[in-house]
Amino acid sequence: MKSETKNIIIVFEFIIIISIFFIINILKPDDKISVYERRKLASFPEISLENIFEGNISNQLEEYAMDQFVSRDVFRKIKYYFNTNILKQKDTNKFFIKNDGIYKIEYPLNEIALKKSTQKINNVIDKYLKGMNICYAVIPDKNYYLQDEYLKIDYDKFISIVKDELKDIKYIDLFSELSIEDYYRTDLHWKQESLENVASKISLELNSQNRFNSNYEKIKLGNFYGTYYGQALVDVNPDNLIYLNNDIIENCITYNYENKKANKVYDLEKYENSNDKYDIFVSGATSLISIENPNAKTSKELIIFRDSFGSSIAPLLLENYSKITLIDLRYINSKILNDFIEFKNQDVLFLYSTIVLNQDILK
Amino acid sequence: MVFSSTVFLFYFLPIVLFIYYIVPKKFKNIVLLIFSIIFYAYGEPKFIFIMIFSIVFTYIFGILINKYKNTKYSKIILIISICFNLGILIYFKYIDFIIENINLWLSSKIDLLYVLLPIGISFYTFQTISYLIDLYRGKVEVQKNFLNLALYVSLFPQLIAGPIVRYKDIKEQLEYRSHTIEKFAFGIRRFIIGLSKKVLIANLLGELVNIFMISNEKSVIFFWIYAISNMLQIYFDFSGYSDMAIGLGNMFGFEFPENFNYPYSATSITDFWRRWHISLSSWFRDYVYIPLGGNKSKNIRNILIVWILTGLWHGAEWNFIIWGVYFGILLIIEKKFLFKYIEKFPKVLRIIYTDFIVMMSFIIFSGTDVNQILENIKGLFGIGNISFKSNESIYYLKSYFVIIVIGIIASTTILKKVINKFKFQKFINLLEPIVLMILFIVSTSYIIDGSFNPFLYFRF
Repeated sequence: MKSETKNIIIVFEFIIIISIFFIINILKPDDKISVYERRKLASFPEISLENIFEGNISNQLEEYAMDQFVSRDVFRKIKYYFNTNILKQKDTNKFFIKNDGIYKIEYPLNEIALKKSTQKINNVIDKYLKGMNICYAVIPDKNYYLQDEYLKIDYDKFISIVKDELKDIKYIDLFSELSIEDYYRTDLHWKQESLENVASKISLELNSQNRFNSNYEKIKLGNFYGTYYGQALVDVNPDNLIYLNNDIIENCITYNYENKKANKVYDLEKYENSNDKYDIFVSGATSLISIENPNAKTSKELIIFRDSFGSSIAPLLLENYSKITLIDLRYINSKILNDFIEFKNQDVLFLYSTIVLNQDILK
Repeated sequence: MVFSSTVFLFYFLPIVLFIYYIVPKKFKNIVLLIFSIIFYAYGEPKFIFIMIFSIVFTYIFGILINKYKNTKYSKIILIISICFNLGILIYFKYIDFIIENINLWLSSKIDLLYVLLPIGISFYTFQTISYLIDLYRGKVEVQKNFLNLALYVSLFPQLIAGPIVRYKDIKEQLEYRSHTIEKFAFGIRRFIIGLSKKVLIANLLGELVNIFMISNEKSVIFFWIYAISNMLQIYFDFSGYSDMAIGLGNMFGFEFPENFNYPYSATSITDFWRRWHISLSSWFRDYVYIPLGGNKSKNIRNILIVWILTGLWHGAEWNFIIWGVYFGILLIIEKKFLFKYIEKFPKVLRIIYTDFIVMMSFIIFSGTDVNQILENIKGLFGIGNISFKSNESIYYLKSYFVIIVIGIIASTTILKKVINKFKFQKFINLLEPIVLMILFIVSTSYIIDGSFNPFLYFRF
């Protein structure tokens, strides 16, 4: 090819690319949310003199332009491909694939945040739970089950700090009860269908009188692309979304304190409607929700301070309790809990993943 | 506005190119001036007035110097004009640093003014000063067209991070410049290469540098990874920006001077500074070093003054002054006796010697305080209670290995030599448009995904 021809091609293709993207981006209606990333997309910023002279407008416009860029997800896939296959980076935006599963680096161990998290738990205990039967368990993120060549926190140190900080309450070890197969490949969470032994252990550790005799029917809902799938935007096979059901669970009623609505334990509409299908378990992320069990053989109640992992295991603990209250301290301030809950003689479980404890996000 | 941003690439650039090329020739400069002001005001609207203020006074001083040329007044006007321009720079860039140090040394309690630094002020102030001095020296004619002078100072490709374009280099281009497909294509090539250097190498290595900074598991290997990544990041960040500036200049018919010439292939520190930020070092040579006497008298004093000022130009922090003095002393040592010994070494050893000195200099350059700088230098040699390796350092070494190797190869002349030896020009011509578009699309994908995207030289 002659140099003149080459120059014409370079000019032509560059002009075509920037012009086409300019025109399409102008014409394309704005999207409100990103289904894959599970987040709201930036909208066109307010144009005001104050906004302009404060210098905010440039950042807001750039955020808007990035979020609303046509075929944004295709570009994100290109980046993942280039980063992984050409630059051979071991992770892209902290995500990487191993054995058809998506992982996110949860590193480093943030001792300050961890101590703040445990301090919040101690504050709740001091304020509301004196004299009650309290246990806690830590759920390892799935990196724990990877080989050492991957970047992962020092879990021994992590648990040692937690034990030091929460020394007055009983620790339930879940690390040895789980394996990598017990987690979704495309999501951060554990699979409910793998949690019978975990639920049994927690039940017995909470109260030796508890029994775990339930038989569950495994009901398969279909394909499940988890949060990691959307965030990493890589091609891996989907998981199956399966839930465990029986008569006890089927007859339970949940009450959501946020929207004041009653529902069933498994909110199957979420499988069709929600961006995050893991929300079928007790209707997903919410600050305060209770599950009433009308067929309970006991009047005993359980309070679980939990993160999203708690949603899928709570139904498996219903057998021994007439009511389970799920409190997510990421969404409700612990100072106002007694406006909603009467703390008396309930069993109490603090059930948090390493991911949440390693950030200072409990209120 | 940042070149490596969605707004610039897919909104600003297509609009300015379209309007620039459809308007008649006589309106092209005014189009560029308007868009340059929008470009600057987009990120820093408050500071646009300072730049306009500086342009207006430079224009007036230029007219006065010309009016009184060959009289004693022209020198006085020149001195006033330089004091005026430097005064603006000193106020906005150094006043709080000066107050801090007065408070420190004299135990006074003068309140800080918390003055914000207008972006690009160090670059455009040096351009206006070069114009005024060259005018006084009779090297250029006065620019009577205000719009042309305003365009010279504010031309958006080089406005906020250089190169520091001398007026004499583009005075004719302001009046007349050619627009050819060849020049435009060359501009696109330079721009895409610069964008890729910035987005695909500098930004990624910048992430690694940040990871190192907050790591609690620093090992000897990690200190070396940091030191090498840091020097590569600074080079690719700044030279990438210069490439984009030169490329954009070409798209609008301008030919800016080169700012880098493979500095990491330099065979001595003296050679390095002929290849690194050429527009700044030549500015100091022509407007400070030679007027002070250059090599002829008080050579050591002159070198030290120039290098303290070079350090200070980079920022109002002590580490930049130390960085400048470090180079000043090394240049004196090289000049006075080391050079004759170095010359006898094989070329590879001379390059390693130079790059090691430069690598150490950038540890000083990037340091936030003396303790951190010393810790990062000691870490390289395992001084203190530091393990040789850690899981974290091995992970990041593996993860960034390819990028670091690409960075090392691309920062030296190896690739250029290979391409030049390649006989099949037609094949290269065929490949070039494809490779450029792949790089452009991939760089865009990194920008859209909201990756880490600072510009190191914007703070100067």
